[in-house]
Amino acid sequence: MGRIVLENVTKSFGDVEVIPPLDLTIEDGEFAVFVGPSGCGKSTLLRLIAGLEDTSSGKILIDDADVTAVSPSKRGLAMVFQSYALYPHMTVRKNIAFPMRMAGVSDAEQEKRIAAAAKALNLTDYLDRKPGQLSGGQRQRVAIGRAIVRDPSAFLFDEPLSNLDAALRVGMRLEICEMHSRMETTMIYVTHDQVEAMTMADKIVVLQAGVIEQVGSPLDLYHKPRNVFVAGFIGSPRMNLFSGPEAAKHDAATIGIRPEHTEVSTTEGTWKGIVGVAEHLGSDTFIHVHDTGLADTVTVRIAGDIAVSHGDTVFLTPQAGQIHRFNADGLRID
Amino acid sequence: MSDRTLPRLLQTPAVVLLLIWMLVPLSMTLYFSFIRYVLNNLRRPEWTTPSLSNWRGFGNYEFVLKSKDFLFAIQNSLFIVCSILILTVILGVLIAVLVNRTFPGRGIVRVLLISPFFVMPAVNGVLWINMLLDPVLGLQGLAVNGLNDLAASLRDAPLIGWFFSLWPEFEPISFRATQTSAYAVIMMVTWQWTPFAVLIFMTSLQSEDQQQKEAAVLDGASTWAQFRFLTVPHLGRPIAIVVMIQAIFHLSLYAEIEIVSRGNGNKNLPYLIGEFANNNIGAASATGIFAVILANIVAIFLLRMIGKTLME
Repeated sequence: MGRIVLENVTKSFGDVEVIPPLDLTIEDGEFAVFVGPSGCGKSTLLRLIAGLEDTSSGKILIDDADVTAVSPSKRGLAMVFQSYALYPHMTVRKNIAFPMRMAGVSDAEQEKRIAAAAKALNLTDYLDRKPGQLSGGQRQRVAIGRAIVRDPSAFLFDEPLSNLDAALRVGMRLEICEMHSRMETTMIYVTHDQVEAMTMADKIVVLQAGVIEQVGSPLDLYHKPRNVFVAGFIGSPRMNLFSGPEAAKHDAATIGIRPEHTEVSTTEGTWKGIVGVAEHLGSDTFIHVHDTGLADTVTVRIAGDIAVSHGDTVFLTPQAGQIHRFNADGLRID
Repeated sequence: MSDRTLPRLLQTPAVVLLLIWMLVPLSMTLYFSFIRYVLNNLRRPEWTTPSLSNWRGFGNYEFVLKSKDFLFAIQNSLFIVCSILILTVILGVLIAVLVNRTFPGRGIVRVLLISPFFVMPAVNGVLWINMLLDPVLGLQGLAVNGLNDLAASLRDAPLIGWFFSLWPEFEPISFRATQTSAYAVIMMVTWQWTPFAVLIFMTSLQSEDQQQKEAAVLDGASTWAQFRFLTVPHLGRPIAIVVMIQAIFHLSLYAEIEIVSRGNGNKNLPYLIGEFANNNIGAASATGIFAVILANIVAIFLLRMIGKTLME
């Protein structure tokens, strides 16, 4: 079990309120991702749930029990830190055993759980090494192992992959997803990388300045961003947002069109522009188009290749029904 | 000229200087330790100038080994050094952990904590033995007298009087006495060198990973467990450094011993050398060679024990 509910939670550091009153429910077994630009309060929120920070007001409930004043270790949560936070002078075995040792678990039981965790995480060969002798990915797995053996009601991940290189990151992302589907335990994952958020989450919580901008499934957020911020934040490359006369044509203060929902032609189309940089990824091509009169740069994405080069004139046409409209307050108009 | 000649040539002055620096005193000490050489002798005036014709062989060494203070000086050297090491490391770790927290006035407290280290050893000795440890006029004497007076005045009090009438009259301890002068030296040197340990441990504590601590909190570690399993191992290396440096320094303690009791009941090897050097330079030199040997033995032990921590 691991249903986590935040009721009217606030957090202030001195006079600065980093989290205004906030309500959030994370269902049992859910994979929730907190995503937002740096400084948006997502890590603070996670630390509040973990108990590493005290709430300024409001209540935190885990499985309907009020844990607001309960000490971190008694909340039954396990956390994986960005820097892994392994104990450098202990072997991998001792690192993984540490929470059990603190809880007074019997030696035999400890051995059993260590062996199981090591097997699940491919660490069996490294149990007697020290963290300093391991690669980044292995350290990350040790940190996860230390979390698993506690058999927590929820896992908290604080940007766990940001210290890994790109290839490893994709691998670990999959491993964490698989772990989640195998264990069916609640997981809360903090990241600033919206790709991680989109690929892993059951539920994404988009935060900005401590305020929840939108909560929903990845595709919800992609297809129906509630406001301009979410529209610009979710999706890669970013959505093109225009305001001014072009938006007025659609009875909106701001309109948005995703790069992948724009047709490109060298002969005719709605908007005309000059090709700037073209990024060829093989499977896709991103073209940055200038001088459209809409925004500084319009990014478009086309599948496969296209024969345009720097300085060419191209025409862009938005796909029907893919234009997102927002009112003067930045809220979505349906 | 091969490519190594020039660098070696450039290094030569430094190397030669170091060699002279070390070798000249050492070889002179060795030389004096094998001849009869005294500063003043009316019967044998020829002994007052160092010369090979006064060759004595291992005579000086025999003389030192047989002198009643030699074994005692070695034991006492080790006793003083080990006591100071243990006390400064324990006190240093505790104070460093305490001061590492944030509290109002932390800057001032830190400066005050470091200040004993800047007191000269001789001043330190005079200060402690006269102002603090003196059995009559020092803080110790006053405190003991005060306690006795207090107990005496409470003896006639109702209800609790019987309890105080069971108290003995306390005697102030004279730290200049034969049996206790080593303790006085240990106290004053510990007071002076604890700041050094605190300073080194404090800088090390500031580099301690806070996320590790948070992880430990989540893992259910109590404050004591965090100290025992995270902080103490983290301090392993600085403890090794403090032990090493202090062992080297305290083997050559002199000023405090001189001031406390003029070596009465409390000698170490350097003090013994000083006593011999009042007249018998040959014996002093032989003791000096013993001191070099002792220092080397201690160094080997220290490197064995501590080198591993440093290399990791």
